[in-house]
Amino acid sequence: MLTMASVMEIYQLLPKTNCKECGKSTCMAFAVDLLARKVKVEDCLPLVREEKYRANYQKLSEIITPVGDVTETGLIVHEDKCIGCGNCVVACPVNVAADPFGAGSGKAPTSDKVILKVEDGIVRAKNVEECRRFGENKILCVACIDTCPTKAIEFV
Amino acid sequence: MVVCLSNNYYVCTGCALLCDDIEVELEGSSLVKVHSACRKGVARMKGCETPLECAVNGKSTDTDTAIKEAARILSNAENPLIFGHGNSSSQAQRKAIAIARKTGAYLDDTSSFCQGPIIEAILQGKLRTCTLDEVKDRADVIVFWGADPSSSHPRHMSRYSYFPRGKERQRGWEEDRTAICIDVRKSDTAEICGNNGTYIIPPGEDAEFMDALVSGLSNKVPKTSFDFDKKRILELTNILKKAKFGVIFAGLGLVYSLKDLEPLFALMDKLNSVSSFHLIPMVGQYNMRGSNHNIFEETGYVNRVKFGTEVLHGPEYSVVEALKEKAVDAALIIGSDPLSSLPLSVARYLTEIPLITIDPCQTLTSSKSDVTIPCALAGVESGGTAIRMDGVEVEMKKIIETDRLSDEEILTRILEAL
Amino acid sequence: MGFGQFLAAPEIKLKLITYRDVFQDSAKESSRFGEEYEKLSAVIRLDPKDISKLAIKEGDTVFVKNGSGKVIVKAMKSGYEEPHPGIAYMVNGPWSNALVPDDTGGTGVPKFKDIEATVQSAKGGKVTGILDIF
Ligand code: SF4
Ligand code: SF4
Ligand code: SF4
Repeated sequence: MLTMASVMEIYQLLPKTNCKECGKSTCMAFAVDLLARKVKVEDCLPLVREEKYRANYQKLSEIITPVGDVTETGLIVHEDKCIGCGNCVVACPVNVAADPFGAGSGKAPTSDKVILKVEDGIVRAKNVEECRRFGENKILCVACIDTCPTKAIEFV
Repeated sequence: MVVCLSNNYYVCTGCALLCDDIEVELEGSSLVKVHSACRKGVARMKGCETPLECAVNGKSTDTDTAIKEAARILSNAENPLIFGHGNSSSQAQRKAIAIARKTGAYLDDTSSFCQGPIIEAILQGKLRTCTLDEVKDRADVIVFWGADPSSSHPRHMSRYSYFPRGKERQRGWEEDRTAICIDVRKSDTAEICGNNGTYIIPPGEDAEFMDALVSGLSNKVPKTSFDFDKKRILELTNILKKAKFGVIFAGLGLVYSLKDLEPLFALMDKLNSVSSFHLIPMVGQYNMRGSNHNIFEETGYVNRVKFGTEVLHGPEYSVVEALKEKAVDAALIIGSDPLSSLPLSVARYLTEIPLITIDPCQTLTSSKSDVTIPCALAGVESGGTAIRMDGVEVEMKKIIETDRLSDEEILTRILEAL
Repeated sequence: MGFGQFLAAPEIKLKLITYRDVFQDSAKESSRFGEEYEKLSAVIRLDPKDISKLAIKEGDTVFVKNGSGKVIVKAMKSGYEEPHPGIAYMVNGPWSNALVPDDTGGTGVPKFKDIEATVQSAKGGKVTGILDIF
């Protein structure tokens, strides 16, 4: 099962030379952005170019799985893992509050205020600004992560 | 043009959960988007890449010719087998039964080697059951036994059994429900039930674990030959005792490991003497249970029958024994793929006898068939009714038009041609 | 390929348990004859210890056989935390069904979840195609 990589883990695999070729001031800064998927592994040019980093490059590419969209809250859906079971849809507290008799009761969402919704068998995130992990009074909500049987949802 | 049929709900026939809250978007006569169905349901509803062709002896032909040939094979056979039914509407199933009656056929369905014994016990009133809607509104202790809904019925936990808020379960799963998973491996469902809620037992030891639970529930020391931690068994029996509305979802793991249902009856009796427990079989194919109900109504048995001057019933009339003993001399397979789903050692005999397949898609069985007749995809291209895993009847509506006949129409015409 | 070249490969006896998988099921709905269905079905999931006993790497192909049949499938690690040497898992499908014995004791129910088989490296042999299972 894929677990979330930590910044340190990523940093350890980078050249650690602070060469700035990627446009960041340090490798650590690059690691932070890589974790948030703001940059790609390939943006670290020496890693791609130099033979001695080959193994690390490969490892990093495995850890940092490419994703379609990272939402502003950092929510990523690994579409290849999602089975569309709807557990997260029904468990998300924002969904429940916005749509108690649809999503909150296990059925197809009937409100367009919900965050998570299954389309074509895969969960899609909308209205992410409503996510409890976002904004002024943010809390570390894990409802969608804990209920997912395949660990398809990740926050970066 | 994309037409969104909003608030126009359809039924998914991907499994016997028959989710009835599916919305679709159409472009012309094809589904371009399916809302709320799981991955498996979407794959089913969008149809297969390899549709079945209408053919006799490998040569494509028209439906009339194929139907005539099918009828000829069935009338010529002394002991035809009519098998499948789990992926047919109840209306088609009744026609299949009529064909079996008329041709003196062996009639069996997939439940014969799946959930048959449990559904029979339920229909005979030997096991207490309830509906999935009751589970959603009331259940506080949910046991998945030898069942992995996350893999077999993906929306089971979100629609009914664990996550949704229901009438008496307003606070959601964390506070209001306890989910237990008893299995031989740590399945995806077990991941959700967590380490505390998961009980991994050795393969084939389900009966003994049931006995141990009965002991625990009777305040005796729960012993097992595989030395399961007694403390954990007692923790579990405590949860079971306190249940206000308990339910056991019986999966194939449970069914296959029991020689007979006695240990399960004993456990259910004990549970109902200390608390309140119900059982629902995790039926796979969308209308497997309907087939059991329909055959039961017609014959008094849920499956494994042979028509003749009287209706015979027993394991010797099961699809497996009939093929093993080479007792049948032709076969009509409807919406099923025995060459994939039965042991090959048993199913191989099908390739030696005249074989007819009715299915929307090519299957391993159709690839070895003498007559293949494509039918409409139920729930998408044809309607009818089906029975959900909990015994509730669900009505399916047609979503798109097709030239292909429904399985009900094909069977009606075979019946007429006999 | 002659039989001789397999003599050296270690052979182990295992108990096979079948299970279901959404991805494989979905692939079946799309096409039973497609690559995806084969990729997801023709797999045996083993304990890492058994993989080393077989002297193979994860992803290598193995012969799985018993009195009922023989198939070549890909060997993978099960990924379960709990060790389970001697027990292997195969997703329900034509490949696993090729190995289910016809011995039912007259009950009409084959032992789908209780299969004994031996496993041995196929030394790069190709996975059995769905139409070649017969
Ligand atoms: S973190 Fe909480 S609020 Fe945000 S999407 Fe997940 S469940 Fe909903
Ligand atoms: S819980 Fe996981 S698998 Fe289920 S719909 Fe949500 S992301 Fe997909
Ligand atoms: S759970 Fe079953 S019925 Fe519901 S959408 Fe998935 S396949 Fe269809």
